[in-house]
Amino acid sequence: MKEGAELRNEREFPHGKSGQGVGARLPRKEDDRLMRGRGQYVADIRLAGLQDVAFVRSPLAHARIRGIHVPERYRGSVFTAADLVGIKPIRAVSGLPGFKISEQPVLATGKVRQVGELVAMCLAPTRAEAEDIAASVTLDLEELPAVYDMLKAREPGSGLVHEHWGDNVFLETNYEVDISAALDAPIKVTREISTARQCMSPLEGRGVVATFDRRLDQLTLHSAAQMPHITRSGLAECLGMEEGQIRVISPDVGGGFGHKGILLPEEVCLSWLTMQRGHPVRWIEDRREHLVASSNCREHHYKITVYADRDGTLRGIDCEATVDSGAYSSYPFSACLEAAQVASILPGPYTTPAYRCRTFSVATNKCPILPYRGVARTGVCFALELMLDLVAAEAGLEPGEVRLRNLVRPEQMPFDNITKKHFDSGDYPEAMRRALAAIDIDSIRAKQKQGEADGRRIGVGVSIYCEQAAHGTSVYSGWGIPMVPGHEQASARLTPDGGLELRVGVHSHGQGMETTLAQVAHEMLGIDVGKIRIILGDTAMTPYSTGTWGSRSMVMAGGAVATACRELGERARRIGAKLLQHDPASVVLQNGEVRGVNGSVSIQTIAHTWYRRPQELPADVDPGGLEVTQGYKPVRDSGTFSYAAHAAVVAVDPDLGEVEILDYVIVEDGGVLVNPLVVDGQIYGGLAQGIGTALYEEMPFDASGQPLATTLADYLLPGPTEVPAARLDHMETPSPYTQFGVKGIGEGGAIAPPAAIANAVNDALRPLGVELMQSPITPHRVVEAVLAARATERSAA
Amino acid sequence: MTTIALQVNRRAVEVSAEPRTSLADFVRDKLDLTGTHLGCEHGVCGACTVLLDGVPARSCITYAVACAGADITTIEGLDEDEITTELRAAFTREHALQCGYCTPGMLVSARDLVLRLPDADERRIRVGLSGNLCRCTGYVGIVRAVQSVIEARRARNIAPQADGGRTSLGPAGSGRAISSGDESRSARQALAPASAGAAPVRIPDFTPATVLDQRFRLPHAPAKVFAMFDDIAGIASCLPGVSLTAPPRPERVEGLISVRLGPIAASFEGAARVERDPATLSGRIVGIGTDPRSHSATQGEIRYRLLPLDGGAATAVELAIGYTLTGMLAQVGRPGLVRDLARRLVAEFAKNLDRHMSGAPSEQVAAAELSGWSIVADVLRARLARMFGRVFTGKGGAE
Amino acid sequence: MKPAPFSYERPRDLNAALSMLAASSGSAKIIAGGQSLGPMLNLRLVQPKLIVDISSLAELKRAEVSGSELVLGALVTHADIEDGRTADVTRGAMRGVAANIAYRAVRNRGTIGGSLSHADPAADWISSLAALGARVTLRSLAGARTMAIEAFVVGALESALHTGEIVEAIHVPARAASAHWGYAKSCRKTGEFAHAIGAVLVDPAAGSARIVIGAIDTTPIVVTEAAELFGGRIAADYKQRFDISVADALLAKAGIDDAAQRHIHVSVLKRAVLEAAA
Repeated sequence: MKEGAELRNEREFPHGKSGQGVGARLPRKEDDRLMRGRGQYVADIRLAGLQDVAFVRSPLAHARIRGIHVPERYRGSVFTAADLVGIKPIRAVSGLPGFKISEQPVLATGKVRQVGELVAMCLAPTRAEAEDIAASVTLDLEELPAVYDMLKAREPGSGLVHEHWGDNVFLETNYEVDISAALDAPIKVTREISTARQCMSPLEGRGVVATFDRRLDQLTLHSAAQMPHITRSGLAECLGMEEGQIRVISPDVGGGFGHKGILLPEEVCLSWLTMQRGHPVRWIEDRREHLVASSNCREHHYKITVYADRDGTLRGIDCEATVDSGAYSSYPFSACLEAAQVASILPGPYTTPAYRCRTFSVATNKCPILPYRGVARTGVCFALELMLDLVAAEAGLEPGEVRLRNLVRPEQMPFDNITKKHFDSGDYPEAMRRALAAIDIDSIRAKQKQGEADGRRIGVGVSIYCEQAAHGTSVYSGWGIPMVPGHEQASARLTPDGGLELRVGVHSHGQGMETTLAQVAHEMLGIDVGKIRIILGDTAMTPYSTGTWGSRSMVMAGGAVATACRELGERARRIGAKLLQHDPASVVLQNGEVRGVNGSVSIQTIAHTWYRRPQELPADVDPGGLEVTQGYKPVRDSGTFSYAAHAAVVAVDPDLGEVEILDYVIVEDGGVLVNPLVVDGQIYGGLAQGIGTALYEEMPFDASGQPLATTLADYLLPGPTEVPAARLDHMETPSPYTQFGVKGIGEGGAIAPPAAIANAVNDALRPLGVELMQSPITPHRVVEAVLAARATERSAA
Repeated sequence: MTTIALQVNRRAVEVSAEPRTSLADFVRDKLDLTGTHLGCEHGVCGACTVLLDGVPARSCITYAVACAGADITTIEGLDEDEITTELRAAFTREHALQCGYCTPGMLVSARDLVLRLPDADERRIRVGLSGNLCRCTGYVGIVRAVQSVIEARRARNIAPQADGGRTSLGPAGSGRAISSGDESRSARQALAPASAGAAPVRIPDFTPATVLDQRFRLPHAPAKVFAMFDDIAGIASCLPGVSLTAPPRPERVEGLISVRLGPIAASFEGAARVERDPATLSGRIVGIGTDPRSHSATQGEIRYRLLPLDGGAATAVELAIGYTLTGMLAQVGRPGLVRDLARRLVAEFAKNLDRHMSGAPSEQVAAAELSGWSIVADVLRARLARMFGRVFTGKGGAE
Repeated sequence: MKPAPFSYERPRDLNAALSMLAASSGSAKIIAGGQSLGPMLNLRLVQPKLIVDISSLAELKRAEVSGSELVLGALVTHADIEDGRTADVTRGAMRGVAANIAYRAVRNRGTIGGSLSHADPAADWISSLAALGARVTLRSLAGARTMAIEAFVVGALESALHTGEIVEAIHVPARAASAHWGYAKSCRKTGEFAHAIGAVLVDPAAGSARIVIGAIDTTPIVVTEAAELFGGRIAADYKQRFDISVADALLAKAGIDDAAQRHIHVSVLKRAVLEAAA
């Protein structure tokens, strides 16, 4: 890998060495304003005449609305579905055969189907007063039995979320390759495995400031959103407006992770309201709304059997997966993306000759789900990696050995797996070997034999995954959902003083794209990153894009910026050649200058001449100018495959149930890294979220569908003492298909930790006869399992 | 509205605001200092942390009016601050921020640690920052940045200040306000209570989410106790916090239950259905009620069964109290607290029931019990025979 | 998430505060640091008509040693105790407890009197002060009364405070030179609510102990005649003699039905005993 790194810096990417180009560990341009409180998030926007909105939300999970009583004095300040004439419900339809359509009214009509569903919108000069009005509205609801358990919801006779469906299944899928060939395998392990429902919980919630410009006949919606162009398309559909009449601006965004990737009923409501009222209106999601009413993720259940030979070779995987999709299909990803994705990604980076997977996307009376960092991969990795540890135990092998026996090998690359996923490049066994070496399995096994003085038990666990990123047209067109990514576009414009403006349709909510895209441009043009501005998050200012999701921005927007800059450089070079009175074929663009045998001219001079002194340009100059928009797609659009092996050492107190992470190693291969500092940050941050999934985060519901964790004292986010100082090691296998060989890496950090940690906890407790197959691993669950195992042992003795 | 005078970022400020305005909303909305962020508004996430009289405090659960006379520093006031300047350089070097939303609060807490910690001990830094959540960075860069600034300052012989420079006792930010004396500074009148919905027409069956079993002994004969359970008004008077809003009918009762869990008060208005089976000396009261103020609702049931004790002189009352809460009160989490409250209410109910039934001084009751033993036993025998008769003929139900 | 509207008064002295409380007949709430009440106000779980802010009352900011006990005014903050701005008669026991309450920003405003008044079973002071044998003085216009901490907490979020009454001071007896102290809690994460607390004050020389099992969703279990927990007598070998089954039975009797919960409580208590003996 050392060789690769040197190769990259010296030959392919000359500017990495200058400290600003691809590969440079460059501190971020956006930091200063954010550290001085000068960032502008949606709640910070100040507009004259602004009024605040609070919503009346359903206190019940499932009920018929018999009446909404508004006190007389508030009649003009409260709006219900009856007022929203002409507004269409949110529909996110998948074209997959058998998908059942849900319509999500932006304000409830007839029924409410989740706690927190919007029933009425209240307007007042301040949020506090709007909440006063909301508190004064009483709802007359006839409670219906809540559908709160996705497994029971699949059974006949269950209450129905959408009556006309006849059942509660959004979509069922089946995929099979010759499972019968596996049935005679000597090792067969079957388990039920589940992951808890979670809330994405960026520190900033969602928020909307809407205003209408009568001169432009244009609605401007400021929204904390990851995909402003998609939001605009969805809004236009619901509002019945032309897209050109809508401008979506997403300012600084306080974390996304998927939470800000969907169209909100609140966005539609406030758009309608500002057009009705003629003044700006605002709604800022508070933490309670986020936890209770917004969108959730991750609730998976697996019934899974793994078949293997005695030497640990995988013979087959057979799985039935159920995902709780909540009450409605969210726009644009739909209610079935997650479950249906399970079928295609469950085998992960392993080769298996036989495979069957049946999936169910189930409607319940809970918030809709949406794709959270890692999407279905976190659950899939959890299920399969826990099973592989059981196979290892059955075969009497080290868990690492079972992985090494079955991982796709580098000489197989590029590789099409059993679900036809196309792996672009990588050396998965090497990542696993490095992780095993770094965590020092042998010394931990020796330590385990001695036991701990404090009564705790040490365990070690590993996991590995692959992360398909930057999914392209061929991947998404099959889903038939409202959004299919095509060519990603970027605009590059030289300013008269030689600066560079880049316009991209993706957005940045912590990923540092104001820095990393500038690095890409610097790599292509040699312009100092200090003179490069990135303009994003505004549909009026940026080229169309599906936005930031699926770890795609660096591959897609980075590629687009490089492509646009290459063309811009070419134009500058040709003008430069004219100015130098050289044959264009004889000059090169290097370090921000066009150089010929007899001299050079800077990009700054070229730009100045083009804009300010055009009289100095020859008559036959290329009229294309110094502003370029270009589209980009990788050579193959089936996605990049980054991956990482994770290894964790934990200490478990069997009496208190406490789990401490003693050591954590990540060996990750994200292709060529544009900015390793930023990449490290993505991985560390993903790890913290993965630890949340593993040990802390859970949104429980009671039998009437009431969410029970509605403050951050109940819904626990990992803090500084819950996250270890992990050790990172990078491999950099370039993708053969992308600009610079980059791969998407944004989500990976959150995928593998639950599996590695659960495997480590089970490794620690296996001698006690304890096995935990459910996330999060809470103290209560640990102690309960320990006591049950002790009771079993006693009764056996 | 109240006029609030205090110092923000070394500038005297006098602005009027409602008493309910948090310090965070005050600096954000009244002074346009939007660098202070709200992440949870219940004191957990730390995004709103500011300096209050020089030490970190949560501005989301501190009301501006309570900070009259105090000295507030927000992130905007730390632009030129020496420690914060060093922290900013370290934060950007170590990539200690991504989306930046937690960063102002994080810097305020980090500054306090740099001031107070004797050395750059990683564990102490992590514990010290545990009141500030970051969802992006995994804290790696933040911890490294704080470590490096502490190390650098201690290397320059700048001594730590263990108490962060605070010398006076009491809540930070308190003590410099002028008291309101006797003059009243009332805020707007509280809103009139929302119009209560009509009592529900239908009282549905339900499966309670929580069931508490309670068994207690009453020194009264089962028949007498059973009769008492028929006296809805009497039972209601024994249930803590219950009052009837309409004259009870044998099968239906409408009323109000007020419960208080510490400072949390709720008033559920609703109706209950009464079922009883004299044959089995058992019965059930099932009710539904809503608390308009908290948009919460409850369904509850009391199942009781009376068993003779001491040959019928006394009664074992077996109560199963089940309830389901929905709405805000159900969602506060920590259901154990509600369970404890229910347990206490049941215990009080038992005590009241005994008191209500006794009516007379305890010695007399005891005497009556003794003398009445055989009679009661006979009655009971007869009842039991009837009960079995019913069961075998498959009839059951109320007479 | 903004509070329902309330009126606000900042009385000039304790008497004025008590008069306001008395006049409000239960519709007022006292606020000091606001670290417990603030979240409940913001969530609209609590909607008082009037907030009486006592945070400026100098009378409640005292901390003095009187005889063999320390008297702390209700407004002394956790950080005041953590930093040693108040005298200490517990040989570091209280400082240790204070330093691990919630987070520094909360400790800078949260007060000992407020924490007690809130009577949250998961909070640190009700368990630790009960183990230390502290008493609390309550004051109303009718006068003052003093009671043991264990009598003050009557249930989850329920204290012995009457309408019109406030916590005035906490009296902490000096910890005997021969008394061992152990305090352990189990939290899902640093600074969050404890789900088990064990507090022990063992004096092997005197043969006595005060044992508290806290954070059990109801009044903490306070054992003052603790010999049974140590096999019948309390002596230098109490660590070896600590009997888990007795503690488990106490928890079962207190209505903790869940065996895993009881096990965690007992294990935390054992940790506190080991810490005391260390």
